[in-house]
Amino acid sequence: MINNCDNKMTQTRMELEDGSKAGRMDMQEVYLGIDVGSVTIKLALVDPSNNLIKSTWLRNQGSPIENVKIGIKRMRDELEQESMLDSIQVKAVGTTGSARYLTKSIVGGDVAKTEIIAHAVAAISYHPDVRTILEIGGQDSKIIILRDGIVVDFAMNSVCAAGTGSFLDHQAARLGIKIEEFGNYALRSETPVSIAGRCTVFAESDMIHKQQMGYSKEDIIGGLSQSLVRNYLNNVGKGKDIQPPIIFQGGVAANSGIVEAFKESLKEEVTVPKHFLLMGSIGAAILAKEHFQENPGYKTNFRGFDVHDIEFETSTFNCGGCANNCEVVQVKMAENKEIVARWGDRCGRWEVF
Amino acid sequence: MKITFPNMGSAIYAFKALLEPLGADVVFPPPVTKETIDLGVKYSPEFVCFPFKVNVGDFIRSIESGVTNLITATDFGPCRFGFYHAIQERILRDLGYDFRMIALPQGDLLEFKWIKTLDEVCEYTGLKKLSAAWKGVRLFLIKAKLIEDIENAEGKYRCREVNRGDTDRIKRELLEKLDATKRLKDLRNFRNVIHEEFQKMDMDMSFEPLKVFLTGEIHVTLEPYVNRDLKKKLGKLGCEVTQTLSLHDWIMHKFHVNFHRKEMAHLARPHMPLDIGGEAVWVLGEYIWAATHGYDGFFHLYPFTCMPEITARGIITNKLLKEYDLPPLFVSLDENLAEAGLITRLEAMVDLMHGKRKKKNEYKQKLNAFMDSEKQDYLANQQQHK
Repeated sequence: MINNCDNKMTQTRMELEDGSKAGRMDMQEVYLGIDVGSVTIKLALVDPSNNLIKSTWLRNQGSPIENVKIGIKRMRDELEQESMLDSIQVKAVGTTGSARYLTKSIVGGDVAKTEIIAHAVAAISYHPDVRTILEIGGQDSKIIILRDGIVVDFAMNSVCAAGTGSFLDHQAARLGIKIEEFGNYALRSETPVSIAGRCTVFAESDMIHKQQMGYSKEDIIGGLSQSLVRNYLNNVGKGKDIQPPIIFQGGVAANSGIVEAFKESLKEEVTVPKHFLLMGSIGAAILAKEHFQENPGYKTNFRGFDVHDIEFETSTFNCGGCANNCEVVQVKMAENKEIVARWGDRCGRWEVF
Repeated sequence: MKITFPNMGSAIYAFKALLEPLGADVVFPPPVTKETIDLGVKYSPEFVCFPFKVNVGDFIRSIESGVTNLITATDFGPCRFGFYHAIQERILRDLGYDFRMIALPQGDLLEFKWIKTLDEVCEYTGLKKLSAAWKGVRLFLIKAKLIEDIENAEGKYRCREVNRGDTDRIKRELLEKLDATKRLKDLRNFRNVIHEEFQKMDMDMSFEPLKVFLTGEIHVTLEPYVNRDLKKKLGKLGCEVTQTLSLHDWIMHKFHVNFHRKEMAHLARPHMPLDIGGEAVWVLGEYIWAATHGYDGFFHLYPFTCMPEITARGIITNKLLKEYDLPPLFVSLDENLAEAGLITRLEAMVDLMHGKRKKKNEYKQKLNAFMDSEKQDYLANQQQHK
């Protein structure tokens, strides 16, 4: 308790100090976090007291390089519209998500951390007493167990995509409803049907069967939400000590039906934070901030908001140095042929980060 | 006669030392690559353990490269390993290959059934070559021990290396040197050579690495292609890897003189009273040992569908984790493992261990400060009484 109060006090003091600083100085320090997930790319600008200043997200279709560039351009345009572009200074950039290293080399990032740590850091900064984080994204789902503000255990789905956003997306399209409506349908359901949730293939065939039997859309979707939650808790959450306060974040947290199903099966209150979608990128920004503050005089590698104008070329080749014949990926700047990143080999002969 | 055996990391150098003095022309199996695994997966039952598939791939590639005498270890259970050699032989016969499969029974090496196998390798010339066999066995045991030393030094020094790739180069050079040494006399000083070579490397001695314990099923733990170079990845992430598991460790256990394993089995006895196959019993013992010896993390590798190791995993997560609080990471390996997911989990685990260590240090500092103040109070009181 005492600790919490202390934290809040220092926080407010920091906010005050920052406010006075911003008044005096025209440059505001900000930190950029980029979360390149399998389905969406999220960008967040965070100030030194972890407040979200600006954010944007877009779907990750095709090449993540192009999409990250588009995302940064979009952010720059928005900043320009509000004439904030000249009054902020990016001190450090953090990347996370499955393409964290690629993004780091493209935009000139300073830290690349895993989604698990980024999500945990973001959740702690908004809810310091959190003990369980449920996170369901586009392609993967994770559970993070925290005690006293440190991660003590985690799990993520390794092979199976059952119970992730992509699956819900697909099923919503099958049923002919918008994914945004999905939650409302589930909430309207009074007697949700039981649907086999162990595997997406079985779930889908079971759902089609229930559809043909004439069950209402609402009940099918309600059942689907419950089976997804059951699958998550049996697969990812198996053997984990789930204790309140519980925070649910990631794209699927937008789905009120799933939130309700979680509340029902955990018999606990489940909090969805305000920026549930952006938690990964906020975490990355906070990690960048910590990196900046830990190393005095650190200068960022960030290429600036004009990174959109830099052309990158990616190519692959087979090494052929030994029997493994690894496939090596390299990213070059189109202009001066400088190699930005290269990896994919097992022995480390070609590696450039 | 040309003879070969399946891959198992650097243990192949020890097998070569065993068979060469018998007059066999030992050929190393082609290194495990994607092609090996593809072949193995294609011709093996789907739900068999992963090492079985890799072995089948190794055999097919060896036979196709012209080596038709295959030697492989066999056991009498308790897990599926007992069936490996018989089923692999059938699969290869069904594929129409012409070869000779020589089984090396390793159930209990003190039964000395392996002498018969060695006799078979030197084409039943009987006692005439017994001295050669004796030399082979001695070379095998000594080289296996030295390979274990090289692997241990690798795990210890990689996290401290300054120039990337030094450790790999030194390890490779040492193994080649070991392989080229054919006389027992020349191996006497080799243990010192290993440490001298590694000490020559540029090292950052002020770096404080995380201490992790790596163990699991023997084949997947020793074969770097199968475990996706996990040891190397851990080293690069700044972890000092301790791995007691090695071929020498296993052979000594089968000779009933491995007191380390006896200790581990003793520690595990309350949770698993008997050997159920794989490395299950010793994994449990090592978990308890590592937790009580200041380790930061525990990495357990096992093939997908490996019964004994999964049993051990269940006991660790449900029972031991609460009692000993050492964060474990379980890696289930098979041909479908997504490397990106593995790297994410490894990095997250490393961050977790750093967080835990920081907390521990803070607690220690607080405790020390408290103890100091108490001590001073006590001394002040004593002064007053005087």
